Amino acid sequence: MDKIFISAASHVTEADVRAARLGTRFGRLDLACQLALLAVESLGINFDAQPRDRIGICLAARAGSLATDLEYWRDRDAVGGPSPTLFAYTLPSAAIGEIAIRHRLTGPNLCLVGEDVVVSEARDLLQRGEAESCLCISCNVVTPALAEMIQSPVAAGASALFLQRCGGGLRELLENDRDIESLCALVCARNSTN
Amino acid sequence: MREPRTTLPPPVAIAGCGATTAVGRGVDALRSALRANATGLRPNPRFDSPRFQTSIVGAVLQNGTDSDDPAFQLADEALGEARAQACEVLSEIPAARIGLVLSTTKANIEALERLADARPCSKTARRHLQGNLFAADLASAHGAHGPVQCVSVACVSGLVAIQQGTKLIQRGVADAVLVVGVDCLSSFVVAGFTALKALDPIGCRPFDRDRCGLSPGEAGAAIVLVRGDRVPGSSIQIRGWGGSNDANHLTGPSRDGSGLTQAIRRALDAAGLQPDDIEYVNAHGTGTPYNDAMESQAMRTVFGKQCPPVSGVKGMLGHTLGAAGVVETVLCVVAMQERLLPGTPRLNIAAESAPASLVRESRSVAQLNHVLKLNTGFGGVNGALILSHG
Repeated sequence: MDKIFISAASHVTEADVRAARLGTRFGRLDLACQLALLAVESLGINFDAQPRDRIGICLAARAGSLATDLEYWRDRDAVGGPSPTLFAYTLPSAAIGEIAIRHRLTGPNLCLVGEDVVVSEARDLLQRGEAESCLCISCNVVTPALAEMIQSPVAAGASALFLQRCGGGLRELLENDRDIESLCALVCARNSTN
Repeated sequence: MREPRTTLPPPVAIAGCGATTAVGRGVDALRSALRANATGLRPNPRFDSPRFQTSIVGAVLQNGTDSDDPAFQLADEALGEARAQACEVLSEIPAARIGLVLSTTKANIEALERLADARPCSKTARRHLQGNLFAADLASAHGAHGPVQCVSVACVSGLVAIQQGTKLIQRGVADAVLVVGVDCLSSFVVAGFTALKALDPIGCRPFDRDRCGLSPGEAGAAIVLVRGDRVPGSSIQIRGWGGSNDANHLTGPSRDGSGLTQAIRRALDAAGLQPDDIEYVNAHGTGTPYNDAMESQAMRTVFGKQCPPVSGVKGMLGHTLGAAGVVETVLCVVAMQERLLPGTPRLNIAAESAPASLVRESRSVAQLNHVLKLNTGFGGVNGALILSHG
């Protein structure tokens, strides 16, 4: 099996989104897309350095798109009906589209709802040779209204890893590395002490 | 291009199928509709309101249901049928080695509508708002104690779920995987497509000159995947797949079809096949002007003047979103078993841009060994899956 390396890691919160300056389109996105996009931006990857059709995107949308679903459906009785723009974000995979558009990434995509097996699946994508590198992202948005509905803690954050099939990187991805959030925390902490 | 493998992954075969759709309950109903080139699209009183662009949809039940968990019921029914068909193979596999991959875009969105309107909603129905918990409960109800995933990649979800199931078997994590696709008709979704002005008021007409939008549909569909060596004799196998992103627009396809072209070429490459090996293409064919034109362009690029027979079946079933890839793959399996090229229901006058090989009415063929299934979706996602007789 080919070795897989982590070449960048990041974690962002809603406060980071509020402070971010990523252009007017960014302001029109739903919070899940903003978090995912900002987490990718924070990786500091030079996407020009590799063929964009060989970069995959694997996303774990932990609470799906339910926070945006609620927001969209709140306006169901508005004159003219609910927002067509917001409707496009009522898909858990919407962030993949936004990331792909911003960085012109045309590789294969995967979006899983719920608990994280996203690292294992990103690894598999690379080991099969379906991509040369892969953005691996976990995004969790649970607004207070949604928290009450699904009895889950309020959350707003995203973690991202950039995985590569060859080259060095910050750390090798090990077989038992599964939880993206702890992996990001570990790599970010190690990186800041070096 | 993918790098050549040193060892080929084990083949994965389809051991059973199930489908509950607008043309009836069970794969036999789908088979009959396929032969007759029938349509399941009809005006539905649930959507007969100025809030919606049209009431023409592909509904399983004309009058809806009182259930607060209709998506789970649809998924459960289709999976029951697929498991029954594969019972001999499945009975020899321990539950811990049977996985489940759910494909859905909205899971049990009925619960959100009910809660927003302060209507009664059970705890279970509320739990099934979350695709991962829906998948876990479905797995538990059907004796699948292996790995469970919920895939949601817009309208490509079904094809990605089939590839995820195949990967779990090829990685040795499971010996069988139950792949289930489901999405229900809902005010939530029909209002959304109305807001986008994406619905055809008289019902979708894929690849038609006058097409002007899609028709929403609902379906539950299931496929039992098993390691190839567990199926005696000839079987239909998952031969290869490819995925890509247009990186172009969130809700519209790229005009030049380059993303879908890339996905098809990746699938051919993974399957070790050439374009002229493909004997039939089941298109995504939503009936929207841009999607069908883009798909036609992608097929022209890949196949040139030798395009194999192509058809789209959303005029039969409607656009079933997260279920689409699974239910349309089930239809391809039936077509391969019956050696029958599916037609394009509701097609009147073919668009100039449509492939010349567009199949209008279903017809028999001598063989159907390699079939290409396509889906595309919001977010620029593209998927291609190749099924082959093994």
